Amino acid sequence: MIQHIDVHAVLQESVSGIYTDLVTRPTGRVVRERIEHAMATAHGAVALARIDFTRVGCIDYSCADEIVAKLLRGRPAVLVLTGISDGHREAIEPVLAGHRMAAVIERSDGTLEAVGAPDAAVALLEELVARRLAVRTPGGTLALTLA
Amino acid sequence: MTRLIEVPTQFDDRSFDQFASAFAGATADGERLLFDAHAAEWASPYGLVGLLAAGQAARSSGGGGGGGERPLLTAPTHAEVLTYWTRAGFFREAADLFEIHGKVPRVKAADESDVLLPVTPVRAAEDVHAVVSKIQERAAAILASELGLDPKATMGFAMALSEACQNIVEHAGTGGWVAVQAYDWRRKLAKRVVVIAVADAGVGFRHSLEPTQSKRFGARWGDAAALEAALIQGVSRFRDPGRGQGLAGIRRYLARWDGKIAIRSGTARIAIVPKWDDDVPLKDGLPAFPGAQVLIIIPEQGSTKR
Repeated sequence: MIQHIDVHAVLQESVSGIYTDLVTRPTGRVVRERIEHAMATAHGAVALARIDFTRVGCIDYSCADEIVAKLLRGRPAVLVLTGISDGHREAIEPVLAGHRMAAVIERSDGTLEAVGAPDAAVALLEELVARRLAVRTPGGTLALTLA
Repeated sequence: MTRLIEVPTQFDDRSFDQFASAFAGATADGERLLFDAHAAEWASPYGLVGLLAAGQAARSSGGGGGGGERPLLTAPTHAEVLTYWTRAGFFREAADLFEIHGKVPRVKAADESDVLLPVTPVRAAEDVHAVVSKIQERAAAILASELGLDPKATMGFAMALSEACQNIVEHAGTGGWVAVQAYDWRRKLAKRVVVIAVADAGVGFRHSLEPTQSKRFGARWGDAAALEAALIQGVSRFRDPGRGQGLAGIRRYLARWDGKIAIRSGTARIAIVPKWDDDVPLKDGLPAFPGAQVLIIIPEQGSTKR
């Protein structure tokens, strides 16, 4: 099954109901721990987790590292990032590249893209296909097999 | 006895060493300090937050003269200067640190104009959230319409500001201040610029990095080496491999928009110098000043060649 995690909702519950930005390490740590907890206590086997950043304002480098990089390092399931804006990518991409890691982004049209270190990005997409979590579409792009 | 410290008439990063020299000399014997700003004609955001850091340091080191007294501050006498310092939020913060002499006008800290973020205290992560939230509301229009930055650059600006403020929370061991302002920089560029200034009177980069970095540098270890390690090599006092991303991220952002960063800590100052500036990359042996002071300048886009 696919687990959906609304990062904005987690942020509002974790830190403050008024801020929409993922900034500072303490905030990133609290949000990540809540996401990890949600994934660990999900009912049924989670094959893939959609981490949805819709309605999240700014993400700084510290939060990108504390949330995205550390979640990927723990790898409780395959992670797919959605609702990612250009501004979010500006923080996430260099942080992942610095760790020689990659993450999958699901664009608004449902196609997948891997960002981060180039070698890790290629390997990640190949793994998704090999595990039948993603397939090549007629247009040559990748999409998730699970809805 | 009271020791006098003159605040430079044009108080910015260029004249800060003159101020730091007077501060270092006056604080040597623990007498009460008098910061004399009566002749001040102009102060940049860097000057204002730097003056607060000096007041913070004076209070914590007994520069109030003992007996719990605060250091003295004579306010500028020029009405326009006084109004600007008030609008910039300086006196709101200074009231806790100094015994202020002079008539401070009852003007609210600015909610419009070129003061994008008045002098704002940064003590905890919650303060950084407030700063980032506020700056995004106000900076978007200025960055895009006045500086010609891509509207998408606003989020990068907020990220850079967040990381600069977090240096205080994570490393200073005390609180500090941040201020952001847009102004015409006629002397240097004849262009509009946005300036971020962050200052604290905490432990500084050398002290923060010493446990993990001093052996690596050996005899070279000092304020300059610590700044080099932090800004150029991206090292952090934490062993977590993800640390040190903040200053690296600021550098990337500034490289894209032809901006400048300079950090002063202790007796050294390091800068990433764009083509339009003639600053030196690294200065050592400066007058000692506590904590760290960060200056970030983003110029109006287009030709920035001198």
